[in-house]
Amino acid sequence: MLPLVSLTVFLPLVGAVLILCLPKPATRTVHGIAIITTALTLIGALSMWLQGASGAGFSQVEALQWIPAIGAAYRVGVDGISLPLVLLSAVLFLVAVIYTSSLRERPRTYMALVLLLETASIGTFTALDGILFYVFFEVSLVSMYFMIAGWGHEDRQRAALMFFIYTLLGSLPLLLAILGLYLGSPEPTFDMRAWIENPPLEGAAAMWALVAMLITFAVKIPAVPLHTWLPAAHVQAPTVGSVILAGVMLKFGTYGLVRFALQMTPDAFREAGVVVLVLGVVSALYGAFAALAQSDLKRLVAYTSVNHMGYVIVGVAVAAITLDPSVRTVALDGAVLQMFSHGLVTGALFLLVGMIQDRAHTREMGELGGLLKTVPMLGWTFVLVAFASLGLPGLAHFPAEFQIFLATLSASPAAVVVILGIAIIAGTFLKALRETFLGEPRQRWQAMPDLSAREWLAVGPLLVLTVGTGVAPSWVLGIIHRTTSALAL
Amino acid sequence: MARDLALLIPEIAVLLTAVGALIAEMLRRPHIALLVAVSGLIVATALTVGLIGEDTTVFGGSFRVDELSVWAKLILLPATILAIFLARVDVRGTVREGTVYSLLCFATIGALVLAGAGDTMFLILGTLLTGLATFALVAYPDTDPATEAAMKFFVFASVTGAIMIFGLSYWFGAAGSTLLADLPGIDTMPTAVLLGFVAVVVGLGYKASLVPFHFWAPDAYEGGPLSIAAYLSVVPKVGALFALTQVVSDLAPDSSWAVVIAILAVLSMTYGYLAALVQTNVIRLLAYSSIAQSGYFLLGILAVGASELALPSIILFAAAYAAMNLGAFAVAANAGRTLSDFDGLGRSQPLIGIAMVIFLLSLVGIPPLAGFVGKFLLFAAAIDVQYTWVAVVAIINSVLSLAVYLRLVVPMYRQGNVVVARTDIWLKAVLIIALTVTLLLGVFAQVFVGPFA
Repeated sequence: MLPLVSLTVFLPLVGAVLILCLPKPATRTVHGIAIITTALTLIGALSMWLQGASGAGFSQVEALQWIPAIGAAYRVGVDGISLPLVLLSAVLFLVAVIYTSSLRERPRTYMALVLLLETASIGTFTALDGILFYVFFEVSLVSMYFMIAGWGHEDRQRAALMFFIYTLLGSLPLLLAILGLYLGSPEPTFDMRAWIENPPLEGAAAMWALVAMLITFAVKIPAVPLHTWLPAAHVQAPTVGSVILAGVMLKFGTYGLVRFALQMTPDAFREAGVVVLVLGVVSALYGAFAALAQSDLKRLVAYTSVNHMGYVIVGVAVAAITLDPSVRTVALDGAVLQMFSHGLVTGALFLLVGMIQDRAHTREMGELGGLLKTVPMLGWTFVLVAFASLGLPGLAHFPAEFQIFLATLSASPAAVVVILGIAIIAGTFLKALRETFLGEPRQRWQAMPDLSAREWLAVGPLLVLTVGTGVAPSWVLGIIHRTTSALAL
Repeated sequence: MARDLALLIPEIAVLLTAVGALIAEMLRRPHIALLVAVSGLIVATALTVGLIGEDTTVFGGSFRVDELSVWAKLILLPATILAIFLARVDVRGTVREGTVYSLLCFATIGALVLAGAGDTMFLILGTLLTGLATFALVAYPDTDPATEAAMKFFVFASVTGAIMIFGLSYWFGAAGSTLLADLPGIDTMPTAVLLGFVAVVVGLGYKASLVPFHFWAPDAYEGGPLSIAAYLSVVPKVGALFALTQVVSDLAPDSSWAVVIAILAVLSMTYGYLAALVQTNVIRLLAYSSIAQSGYFLLGILAVGASELALPSIILFAAAYAAMNLGAFAVAANAGRTLSDFDGLGRSQPLIGIAMVIFLLSLVGIPPLAGFVGKFLLFAAAIDVQYTWVAVVAIINSVLSLAVYLRLVVPMYRQGNVVVARTDIWLKAVLIIALTVTLLLGVFAQVFVGPFA
């Protein structure tokens, strides 16, 4: 039996080492290796998907002795919550690498960083050991820092520094929480399965651990008021950096919220659930209003992420508060599907914004205009993805948000005001579409080329998946539902 | 007697190595001195391997052959070899090249004596032995800054040493014995215990460059040869911190000494990194960073006697610290002493750039590098004995440290002066060894943490 999970996690790292070890490789070779590696990783993720996950607990677990003296081991495995995120990461990294294959500036280091980031991302979603999770969680920061600092836009140094320090400060409380869980375990272990099965902390200790985790994950998600690093990092990051940051790395926060906060300190979370719920509602509404106020297209997309991730927080908080298992299942189904959909849709949005920026060298919506006539394919693709992002039925976000709102309505009806976010986001995108794509085409953009084959290859799979998830969400929901319905809290 | 000597065989080997190197130098054969020093230290390390698992004392309890002292040898002897490699680059062709290698061996014996001290007299002996050898090493270049630095170092050492001896007289007076193992007998006299302890902290704290006994460190590091700065930041420091561990392991776990250690930890970490934040000289920056790193060791020392994680965390972090710090100094030896020397380093010498980034991130404590594993266990040890607030301060300081070390990383990837300096073979050796340890220590952490068998 092949150790499929470990292979999928470490394949990109092998590719990165290969790229670094080749003596003076040609740019084509570097991109070729990167594409092949990420494609193989996707195959790995798909075979993990086909193996599936049983209902309760974790499947496809692989374990190796590491530091038995303190109960730390290399443990990886998946369940219905992590499996969609693994698949999402593998897809997004492949399209990101395809999109980047035109990069000429120091491609070797860049691709090595991207591949390192892929190992860190898939590793974060599959780790079943507290230390291992933290290791992957932090490695992702390092590679993202260097991606922004080395290949970002005008003000990249400041943005990269802010990103690194902000998120490091954010993630260290998690370390404290992990240590707390470890020291609280009856038999010292870092096995996350044991922590989930038998939450080791209770009372005030559990509450402190929860607060520490909430800080970490609120920075990562990001939830208002800890979101301020996000617009800066997104605007300055290279396109692929933004795609990965929004598509994959924000999920670390929501995934951690489910995996750690909800599963390891369930009682404390139930007590503090209302606070988290309010946090989610505020985040969603604030993100929507902030997006409405933007004139920079990339910033706008960045703020819609704050909005969409706010819904995930609401979903998880509802799952924590409610005492009705069926409502909890619906809420968690929605929250996990929302993570998956957001990755596809926002990934595509950032790719499209990147394509516009490559052509126009500006992201100001006021300077663009009439692009639907100049570059119809790019334009219509953007329209489709924008509609997906505002939650149009038949596209990826709808089934997720619908379930979240449904659960919210039955658990804490007051929180349904969050639904206003949908209207505001709709307004935001309609405004953006009008300014950027509608109207008379401008003279200065006449020579703008439409989507190239490379760009089609990058954005195409995301479009297919967006529509596929919207029309028939059951192919993802099935696997999510099997785990969420078996979840005992 | 024969048993005692057999247990001391590594120390004896180092002593013979030092003498052998000195003789070679007297014959004006620096190459042979180098060869003797390096091979002698390798032999001593190999001899130590046979002692793994010993937990005993020699010479009537005055010297300990235990987990700490054995690991001190396994960490500090290889670290000395790396320091000798670095020194080779600094002093090649100078008049008294061989004395440097010999003095480094002598200083290392002092550090080993400290790490195994079971008697207050050994604390004094170890401090003096490392002190005398390192004063000479700092002054070796015979330039004005070096002489001044050595002078400061010497005066500081004399004063703190005198205070330590004075304070130890209280312990001797109260216990009627100089053995550390007799300290529990004076629990009835808390004032004497505390006075003596504060004095020990002064004496060892100077050697470990803990705030507020750190003032000599940046000057001595900057004034002396770079290799000696690298050596001072690792070997005597780790020796002194291990000695402090030996001392507190004989004090009652719940007495006021832990508060003293906690305060020193917070001061050292915070002040060290704040001061490092404004340095423009790389050596001074690394000096302040090493002051802060000493503070992290204290988190483990806090927990000695009360948490099983204490000793493993201290030992593991010592190994990690030795590797990453020597590595960072080796890169500085290659690049230069000011921040502007690092401009564009990552672009002109990509591999050295990556190595430096890894050393610095490890110093911050970013996983999965060696520094992370060490700090992680140190935090766990402190939380285990209910000193969570110190762990929180340490964590906040880790963020501060990121700002410090990024000051080196950022210019490395700027478009800069592309001077492709040829990297010395000795430096390369140090870099490769330090890098390997920094990268792989985490994977093999079990070796350090496992039951000492």
